[in-house]
Amino acid sequence: MKEYQIKENIAVQSKRYRLLFVLFAVVLLISVAVNIMVGSIDISFSELFRIIYTSDVTTTNGFIVWKIRIPRTIAAILGGAYLAVSGLLLQVFFRNPIVGPFILGISSGATLMVSVVMLTTLSLGFTALAPFLTTVSALAGAYAAMTVVLFIAAKVKNMITLLIAGLMMGYLCHAVTSVLVAFAEQEKLKMFVLWQLGSFSGLKWSEIQILFIFGGLILVLVYALSKPLNAFLLGEAYASTMGVNIRVFRFFIIFCSCALAGMVTAVAGPVAFIGLAVPHMTRLCFVTSDNRILIPGTVLLGAIVTGLCDLIARLAFSPVELPISSITAFFGAPIVISLLIKRKVSV
Amino acid sequence: MSGPGTNTITGTGTIMRTKDLSVGYNKKTVLSLVDLAFEKGKFISLLGPNGAGKTTLLRTMAGLLPPCNGSVLIDQISLNKFKQDHLARILSVVLTDRVSPGLFSVFEFVALGRYPHTGLLGRLKKADKKVVITSLSQVHAQDLVFRQIETLSDGEKQKVLIARALAQEPRLILLDEPTIHLDLKHRMEVMSILQNLCRERGITVVASMHDVDIAAKISDQVILIKDGGIVAWGPPEDTLNKKSVAALYDFEGATFNPNLGSIEIKCNGHRGSVFVVGGIGCGTVFYRLLAKRGFAVSTGVLHTNDLDYYVAISLGAKCITRLPLEKITRDQINEALPLVKQADYVIDAGFPVSELNQMNTELIRYALAQGKLVFTLRKEKDVKRFLQTDSENLIICENEVSLIDKMDSYP
Repeated sequence: MKEYQIKENIAVQSKRYRLLFVLFAVVLLISVAVNIMVGSIDISFSELFRIIYTSDVTTTNGFIVWKIRIPRTIAAILGGAYLAVSGLLLQVFFRNPIVGPFILGISSGATLMVSVVMLTTLSLGFTALAPFLTTVSALAGAYAAMTVVLFIAAKVKNMITLLIAGLMMGYLCHAVTSVLVAFAEQEKLKMFVLWQLGSFSGLKWSEIQILFIFGGLILVLVYALSKPLNAFLLGEAYASTMGVNIRVFRFFIIFCSCALAGMVTAVAGPVAFIGLAVPHMTRLCFVTSDNRILIPGTVLLGAIVTGLCDLIARLAFSPVELPISSITAFFGAPIVISLLIKRKVSV
Repeated sequence: MSGPGTNTITGTGTIMRTKDLSVGYNKKTVLSLVDLAFEKGKFISLLGPNGAGKTTLLRTMAGLLPPCNGSVLIDQISLNKFKQDHLARILSVVLTDRVSPGLFSVFEFVALGRYPHTGLLGRLKKADKKVVITSLSQVHAQDLVFRQIETLSDGEKQKVLIARALAQEPRLILLDEPTIHLDLKHRMEVMSILQNLCRERGITVVASMHDVDIAAKISDQVILIKDGGIVAWGPPEDTLNKKSVAALYDFEGATFNPNLGSIEIKCNGHRGSVFVVGGIGCGTVFYRLLAKRGFAVSTGVLHTNDLDYYVAISLGAKCITRLPLEKITRDQINEALPLVKQADYVIDAGFPVSELNQMNTELIRYALAQGKLVFTLRKEKDVKRFLQTDSENLIICENEVSLIDKMDSYP
């Protein structure tokens, strides 16, 4: 075995990774710029540069850029990145390529709790919490759903059963939500239906701050877990004999993926397919299952894909705006199906 | 870590022992009262029928299952007192679980085994890379280093799994059925790799096995497991014999012979009976061929240190014998004559004739006198010289298989 050959091989590989990261970063920057510039009122690049440089909020264009376009774009790319990482975590955890926050009832749990808050009068006592109420209830719903799924998992210790338990949780939450919808007042219902369609529009800067800080912290934690995540690819038994504390690790994975998915669901409604499709796309681009590469990769690609989907949702039938989930499904579903047919899918 | 052959560690002392151990799933005990000691640098095989609890015992020893009762001790310290990453530097495993980690090169995959030795993000230092390469060369898989894991054959994958276990730099490796699903070449290769790990690296190897004959030839110790307990354990030379192996697997149609180190499938004799005049190893091929084709075999007169004797006994043939180095006399011939008379056919295996077995030619002449067909491997000129006969019933054949085929074609 020639040692220099291996050294060379590793060098070539990391060069390719670096190139891809730079490429993705550039594409992300471009898509962010396009997202901000293009819309019902087009803003030129020089105009955008002036508005940002002078922090201009007084003109119409300045108002549009600072109060509408930038918050929406940031929300979309953060939301996309978080959902994609949440999906990646769940795919590694369940060693199953077709799971995502949607499949396991996390999104449905969040939706249920949000529907309780939005459609009933239960929330009246918590006026102090009002700005964060959707976020808190979505997180609570996500964790409640996952707790039930994990409680079942502790009894059965079988991944497939856990998956089915997650699916059943989803159906159950959906059923309760439907009942609430049936009894809801017309005025409240309209708001809820709009939220449920999913959109990254109308976020306040305070909400984006929360999303950025907490989500960012969790992404750092997830990256720190990339070593046990890699070990986990060999299965629980091997991971355990390599030194992974399975119980602690399980807790962190669930905590992080629920937090990420719950947060995004709270602000943007249930967004489908990003968590499922983006990790696969990243694997195919980087040709690796190494989570130290995949985690930053899914962050970038999730942001790019969701940013573009949001752009299409705004522009395709402008001025009518399409629900973001319909666009992500148009992208995601064919990708997943073609992956399955080619049998190139692996975790 | 050192290359092959640079330091030979002889097994001294015990690395792992079990005390009053009971193992099982969900408090349902599969195997109880296990008191074993595993010596350093030894190859230890677990043998027993399917479902006896070999895998359960291995998983408990690896700390993957809590014991139902009792304890597993490493260096006198109970397994549950170890921190997980500390244990990972002492013990590693190769399981039968299907491993499909996704898109990894063989190098990256084996490097995952460095887990307990690397920092927070698992970055490989120069020394780690060296261990990965040494581990790969120890399993003769250095050529696979840039291949993708998913493209490997079963045999190659198994070698890479062993390399991954080695990359943990353990003192003890536990393997569950390491040769299952492998072709003959890889089966032998994997076994010799494991044996080298014991001999050259002083690693203790504990493996559950399904091939008794391979286990007998390779292990320092065997542990026989059956009916929820340890039936016997010790060196295979003491532990494995016709009786213990038959009892372990509830054999009826086959026999394990420790002298041959192999399992012979008994003949049931529904096609008629054949008497083979054999000796000096010439009869062995015929015994196996006849047993395979369904003939009942009787043979004689054999010395009891003859290869023919061991094979004939294992196959359940009737056997007339003489002590080693003693001349065969009229007494043994008289014993054999009734068997020759009962036989449908007689085979002369073409044994070299000497003073000791001269009398065996008598059996052939007797058979011819009885009007029986005798099939012989001898050349025509030798027939006259050794058998002193020119009977038409003596049929000369070229080799063993054509002899049996010719015999089969007679009614």
